[in-house]
Amino acid sequence: MKTANDVYQEKGWREWQTYHAVTPKTVLFLFFAFVLLAWSGHNTEMDKAAVETSKAVLSAVGIGDSDVLNGVTKFGSQAFPLKFESRTELTRLEDVDLQDLPLFSYIEEGVSSEYDVDTDTWTEEKTEYLVEPIGYLKKVLWMMWETIEMGFWGTVISIMISLPLGILAARNYSPHPIVYHISRGWLSFHRAMPELIVALFLVLIYGFGPIAGVLALAIHTSGVLGKFFADEIENAPKGPQKALSSAGANSLKVLRYTVFPHVLPAWIAYVQYIFERNIRTATVLGIVGAGGIGMELKGRWDLFDYDHVATILLIIFIAVLVLEFFSQKLRNKTL
Amino acid sequence: MLIFDKVSRVYPDGTQAVKDVSIHLKKGEFCVLLGPSGAGKSTLMNMVNGLVEPTTGKIILDGEELNKKNLQTIQRSVSMIHQQLYLIPRLSVLHNVLTGVLPQAGFWRSMIKSFPVKDQMRAFKLLNEVGLEEKHLTRRASELSGGQQQRVAIARAFMTKPKVVLADEPVASLDPAMSRSVLNSLKTAAQTHGATVLCTLHQMDYALEFADRIIALRAGQVFFDGSPSEMGKEVQIRLYEIERKSLEKQGPIIESDAVSPPLQVSKVKPKDAVS
Ligand SMILES: Nc1ncnc2c1ncn2[C@@H]1O[C@H](COP(=O)(O)OP(=O)(O)OP(=O)(O)O)[C@@H](O)[C@H]1O
Ligand SMILES: [Mg+2]
Repeated sequence: MKTANDVYQEKGWREWQTYHAVTPKTVLFLFFAFVLLAWSGHNTEMDKAAVETSKAVLSAVGIGDSDVLNGVTKFGSQAFPLKFESRTELTRLEDVDLQDLPLFSYIEEGVSSEYDVDTDTWTEEKTEYLVEPIGYLKKVLWMMWETIEMGFWGTVISIMISLPLGILAARNYSPHPIVYHISRGWLSFHRAMPELIVALFLVLIYGFGPIAGVLALAIHTSGVLGKFFADEIENAPKGPQKALSSAGANSLKVLRYTVFPHVLPAWIAYVQYIFERNIRTATVLGIVGAGGIGMELKGRWDLFDYDHVATILLIIFIAVLVLEFFSQKLRNKTL
Repeated sequence: MLIFDKVSRVYPDGTQAVKDVSIHLKKGEFCVLLGPSGAGKSTLMNMVNGLVEPTTGKIILDGEELNKKNLQTIQRSVSMIHQQLYLIPRLSVLHNVLTGVLPQAGFWRSMIKSFPVKDQMRAFKLLNEVGLEEKHLTRRASELSGGQQQRVAIARAFMTKPKVVLADEPVASLDPAMSRSVLNSLKTAAQTHGATVLCTLHQMDYALEFADRIIALRAGQVFFDGSPSEMGKEVQIRLYEIERKSLEKQGPIIESDAVSPPLQVSKVKPKDAVS
């Protein structure tokens, strides 16, 4: 009796199976993929997004009307010109020396109106304002700096958590399999908690301000960094480690002298990336009250002060670009 | 002072790498292990610092039998120059040599890479002995030539004032001139510091030139044990023979490749190929 293998071998090369790029299977697969994508796209209103965006584009060249474009122009008209100056009622300021105002600032007379709920009337009053031309810009820049500091401390604390945990979570340096599994689990737990949600809880615990933001950043990113550290340690070349340990050096010394030098460049690059990322994330953490420039953004947004919002967005944008530029320079140097 | 007492080693997969080997090495001896690939040289050597455990038999160093309890103490008096060297590529030459005293170094000091002046001076002396210069100190190990790396590994091995130095094919990847010079460094260092050396080599002429004593292994067993002068022509010829046979055993894999018939394209006529 002939086996399948015999048949296979008796075939001349002319009868060998040719390769087809497109088979019924491929068509079926593509069809199902399309159905699935269509369904999911509808769920996330991707169809509507496409329609609205095309309408906006058409409207921009003068065809038809578009809510989206109207929204853009409405925001744009309120956002520009950007607000750089700050105005403060003189009566609210204590110890202002009118003879010696801060540089470039001046006094402006204006009208302030006050609403009385009981009588439902507006009373108008003449008041004097202290105007500082770049007062608001300075405030935003200072808050941006605070945000960068949040990112910095978030990264520092993240390293302090992830370094010991990372070593304990490296299979070949963990003192015991139980410790290994606990550390790995712990790191996954940290990774699985998004910053915004952690920040929400921490604001409840620590109150409004940067503490909640910094800790939220540290908790989430330590999970990411720790896993990376652990994997790098596990994958370091074994030879030098064997050489030192078979000479009688204990494992921490082996780690310090063979593994650390090997993984250092990769670690530095990763920490740098986490730092950059933490600064970007820190800008939005303020939305839940966890400190940084986001708090001001949220406040102004709620008051419909779109000119102030635009200033904040501009500063965030510039800051992120500048940071990435320097970060890239540093990376080219260290690697 | 280093005694292999009827040691055998069977690997988990059943390979008998070393079989009933008894060797008694004297202090300060420069002993060369010869033998074809797979004879069990590395296995035998790795038993001394605990990288491989003997299945049966004992290793005795200065009257002390090697066991789990005193393993670390014994490891500290045994240095090894591995075939692949295992230097730390991104560490400076100086620190690579200093890792030789790492087992004894103070913990916190060693964590910040700080070493006593005494140790550094010893490293300088050893590096000078093997022919490296001050300008090499701060270079990374990866930036050295193969021969220079070999010398760094030798210097590292002598940092601890070892009783025994194990060298696994220390000249495997070097040209003849460099090989001689490295073996010379090794032998001089061993004499200066009174260390016993166990060194595997593949080249009989180097063995005859440098060894105080030659031990030839074959299939895990001692086949010859004596001084180079005792090693007559017959033994040498036998050894060459064994070495050649072990090569022939591996041969067919390479041969079958070479012998396999070339594609017979010419038999296919053009018009057949088109249809
Ligand atoms: N970890 C291991 N597991 C299983 N078998 C092994 C192991 N290490 C070595 N062997 C086998 O033991 C035998 C002896 O190996 P060993 O490395 O000691 O040879 P060698 O004499 O050093 O050879 P070479 O000159 O090629 O280095 C070989 O057959 C090898 O395949
Ligand atoms: Mg070997």
